[in-house]
Amino acid sequence: MSEQVHNRLAVVRAERKVSRQQLAEAVGAHYQTVGYIERGQYNPSLDLALRIAEYFALPVEALFSLEPFSPLTDEVYGRKRR
Amino acid sequence: MTTGLTKYDRRMYAVMNRRDGRPLYATAARRRAVVCAHIALTAIGAAAPVTTALTESMWPLFVLFGALLPWCLATGVINGATRGLLELRGRALDERQLRERDRVLARAHRVTTLLLLAAVLGAFAAGGFADVRMGVLLTPVLFGVLVVHALMPLWVAGLTVRDEPDEE
Repeated sequence: MSEQVHNRLAVVRAERKVSRQQLAEAVGAHYQTVGYIERGQYNPSLDLALRIAEYFALPVEALFSLEPFSPLTDEVYGRKRR
Repeated sequence: MTTGLTKYDRRMYAVMNRRDGRPLYATAARRRAVVCAHIALTAIGAAAPVTTALTESMWPLFVLFGALLPWCLATGVINGATRGLLELRGRALDERQLRERDRVLARAHRVTTLLLLAAVLGAFAAGGFADVRMGVLLTPVLFGVLVVHALMPLWVAGLTVRDEPDEE
């Protein structure tokens, strides 16, 4: 029943230089929960996903998706074709 | 999660989330070993007062006192591995932990039910085939079942907890 929810939380968190502990405290979760979300071992509730998105001031679909994310460099610069 | 926590909750949360004992429960194999040791120590501790009651000798109580300290240590290690999943109040846990706790309690309930069934059948079998008086069996079986019922969630939690996410 549980579908894999893909996320780019680790990438965004590293980019913003936010530790798991800081994010966890900001959204009211345990730091391990953030780690399990990043590893794809736990799918957050809509409530938690929205709180994480709000923390990063991003739309929730920028962080979570039912489809795998393409690399950010591909999205920004486009895939180089030979 | 951290809103509405009492001073006691915060203290317990800090205790349960200390990372000092992490090497003891870092891998699934180590957690299994700790849980097995805890089960063995519990069996020794539970058998001691029953043996004392049945034989009227005092030496099993010294065994109980000897097993108490390592039992407490093993309990602490399991609680550390689960980050206080069963010790902390619900308001000190987040949504994942609450879900995990529900899962652990449900699984422990199923296992305990099977063990209760085995205990009842075993007691009847002992009474029927081995000609043991049911009255003699009642106290040790009930005591053993009570101990297992109380500790099964801790053992299940210790066995099912996942590895810590990698360090950043």
